[in-house]
Amino acid sequence: MSDADTLSKLSKLNEKYQMFNDFCRDGELGDAKFLFSAKDNLTSEEYETCAGSRILGGYRPIFDATSIAKLKAAGGKLVGKTNMDEFGFGTFSANSGFGIPRNPFDLSRSCGGSSGGSACAAAVLDDHISLGVSTGGSICCPASFCGTYGIVPSYGRVSRYGLIDYGNSLDKIGILSVDPKQMTKYLPIIAGKDKEDPTSCVQPELKITHKKMKSVAVPREAVEGIAKDVLEAFNKALEDLKSMGIDVEYVDMPELKYAMPAYYILATSEASTNLARYVGMRYGQQEGDLTLGFDDYFTSFRTEYFGDEAKRRILLGTYTRMEGFRDRYYAKALQVRLVVIDAYKKMFQQHDAVLTPTMPFVSPKFDDISRMTPVESYKADFLTVPANLAGTPHLNCPCGYNADGMPIGMQFVSDHWNEDVLLTMAEEWDKQFEVRKAEVSL
Amino acid sequence: MKIGLEIHVQLPTKSKMFCSCPTTDAPAPNTHVCPTCLGMPGSRPVLNREVLVCGIKLAKMLGCKVADTTWFSRKTYFYPDMSKSVQITQYDHPIGVGGVVYLNGKPIRITRIHLEEDPGKTKRTSDMHALVDYNRSGIPLAEIVTEPDLATPAEARAFLAQLIGDIKHTLDLGENSERSIRCDCNISVGKERCEIKNVTGLKNVETALTYEMVRQIKILKAGGKIERATMNFDESRGVTYGARKKEFEADYGYIDEPDLGIFHIKALADSITIKEAPAKMIPRIADQYGIDQKMAKQLVSTSTDLALFFETVAGKYGKDLAVKWVAGPVTSNWKRFEERGGSTDGILEIIGRFAAGSINDSECGIEIKAFMTGESAEAAAESSAGLETLINEFLDANPKIVDDYGKGNVKAANSVIGHVKKNTGGQYSSADVVETAKRLIEARLS
Repeated sequence: MSDADTLSKLSKLNEKYQMFNDFCRDGELGDAKFLFSAKDNLTSEEYETCAGSRILGGYRPIFDATSIAKLKAAGGKLVGKTNMDEFGFGTFSANSGFGIPRNPFDLSRSCGGSSGGSACAAAVLDDHISLGVSTGGSICCPASFCGTYGIVPSYGRVSRYGLIDYGNSLDKIGILSVDPKQMTKYLPIIAGKDKEDPTSCVQPELKITHKKMKSVAVPREAVEGIAKDVLEAFNKALEDLKSMGIDVEYVDMPELKYAMPAYYILATSEASTNLARYVGMRYGQQEGDLTLGFDDYFTSFRTEYFGDEAKRRILLGTYTRMEGFRDRYYAKALQVRLVVIDAYKKMFQQHDAVLTPTMPFVSPKFDDISRMTPVESYKADFLTVPANLAGTPHLNCPCGYNADGMPIGMQFVSDHWNEDVLLTMAEEWDKQFEVRKAEVSL
Repeated sequence: MKIGLEIHVQLPTKSKMFCSCPTTDAPAPNTHVCPTCLGMPGSRPVLNREVLVCGIKLAKMLGCKVADTTWFSRKTYFYPDMSKSVQITQYDHPIGVGGVVYLNGKPIRITRIHLEEDPGKTKRTSDMHALVDYNRSGIPLAEIVTEPDLATPAEARAFLAQLIGDIKHTLDLGENSERSIRCDCNISVGKERCEIKNVTGLKNVETALTYEMVRQIKILKAGGKIERATMNFDESRGVTYGARKKEFEADYGYIDEPDLGIFHIKALADSITIKEAPAKMIPRIADQYGIDQKMAKQLVSTSTDLALFFETVAGKYGKDLAVKWVAGPVTSNWKRFEERGGSTDGILEIIGRFAAGSINDSECGIEIKAFMTGESAEAAAESSAGLETLINEFLDANPKIVDDYGKGNVKAANSVIGHVKKNTGGQYSSADVVETAKRLIEARLS
């Protein structure tokens, strides 16, 4: 296909699925070895970077995120910045200031979130990889809803330089693709120490030794309250894993239920401080009423340009770190995080991974999403949040389709720095499970 | 009355606290900036280790306990010159806590010392406009917080003056180096305290505190009640003005700074030794060698190197010779000696010969002066002889000076200066004259 044809197809696909905020509309692809996209909270010099927020409308960063720079250096061409929930705040990519990406399996359904555009791009573009970012489930959820693989490495594995922060102690950059081999190929490329991000500088080297998984633990708590179609596909997958020679053992992990509140406290506490910098000065939207004093100017700007969910999380996060509540919420959540990490470590003494369904239901229709309360949508993340809170690497594998043909995913969680066993699992799984490609008609 | 200070000192690092922008004077506003100190989305802080080293040195200087592990926190507030609307500072685990500093023998307790970044600067250009310069954004600061142990505005000023001297000495800053010191001054005459924000300079600290003290006294006398408040200080009018209701520190919603992690600094702190601060050196030397505080202060304030040399001589040839020669001619010639840059070994050798009896009193004085100033021995002898003659004539004519001096009025020797200056112009330095006069007077008394 000529460059023009590729780009014209890209444009048409975007019209249909709205997976990009900004993308490559013309020009040449040159001698790019591969094409990739990146979530719009990763800075890039050649595209707008808005992190799904109108407050950053028109913002052109002056530097590339390390992960993007590394893929470019490896011969990749960045073709688009993928749509997302504002600053990563959401489960359905419906909280974006720039349209809502559509599920390639059913346009009336969500791609999941918050890396919804990335999952969509990975599902509909040929030989494509997309960089996503996970704070509480933002890679595995959309990967599950769009039927792609998604790998979230250990916290600190991939430099966050150039990542527009949601929760700095939780944010992780990973890869979505329908081809596990691509993830195995490109994760080591974006991984590694980067002096621009001190938290990346304590990692051991990521070695791919193709270590096979022998045993997985399935927490009983994780299969309660799961939709019937998801549970059926999951149970079927367990049988397949057994036939691959993997031990499956049901276990109790009561600590998992504490992960959700701890996660939302830490994530919103950090987010509310991260979002303080967006005041209509210096970058992004800056057209405001200059006759106002700075306090009123900042307030008017934040009132006008932040979406409802961003405001909700700023309020929550400001509350949890307030005098009188800080110890009760923020400080306690830090302790709970250690409890959850301990619970995983205990599991990894005997098992290679903890396995659960990824999401409790298949991608919902937008009509249903609009009727959900914030707490209902937060609860949808209860399976993806614990591993994110613990900073342990995790993987979504497509594992089935329901009667409507909607994809269902399962999530493996391994010990810190053990991405190898997950990547290998994905490749092994892919040998015996047929991933359905979404039917893309233009 | 109780006064406590929060003192912000810029630390002398080459680059900023969390990025590699230089800390030197910038050619124009907003030129020493980068994504990190501008707080651009996606940028992040990387700690300059030199900041920890400076912090540890100052913590030790203040007699604080240096933390084994330390980390940073985010303090959130909105102001145009705060590029992230979040200041990276220390809250839970500052670099040092619980120190004490002695001001003329009185203990002033140090609550804590912590490290933080400076915001940029806002400059009002009119009622409707202000310009922001981020060159200062991210310059490393140490904040030193005292207990309310200072009793008067004058004492607060004296404390600050001493502290600045000690800081310069500890961090090897030149005597004349400009150190920007900003102070938040807390003062309570009655029960509730007020804080005067951001006062720059010693004189302003005293003026602001005095104004605020009087204001509070007036309110209390009139039967009013002091409300806890944050005040500003107007330098040009010398007045404090309010005020917003005081926020409490915890209102800033501190959380840990997740991008920087935890710093285990015990090994680093153990490896750092600091030079004795002048304020500690003065009472120690006075005590150790049984000399009076004034002489010790004269030595230390001339130069801590001079004070150390005093100790060397005292150690080798005894305290009396150290007093006679180091507190005498060596002190009066020290400035010129320092400018020329020489080794004190030569002086030590001369005093050694005096101690061995190979040269006499006046030969020793001449040799020291010649060695320290680089003059020839003849010139030194001549000028010294000339000076001695002049002073002896004056003393002969005014025996009361010798009497007064003998009765303990050391200042009596100062009257010689006027006489010598009148007759010779600026040929001899005041220090030289006084030192020689003292020596000659003491010779007459013994």
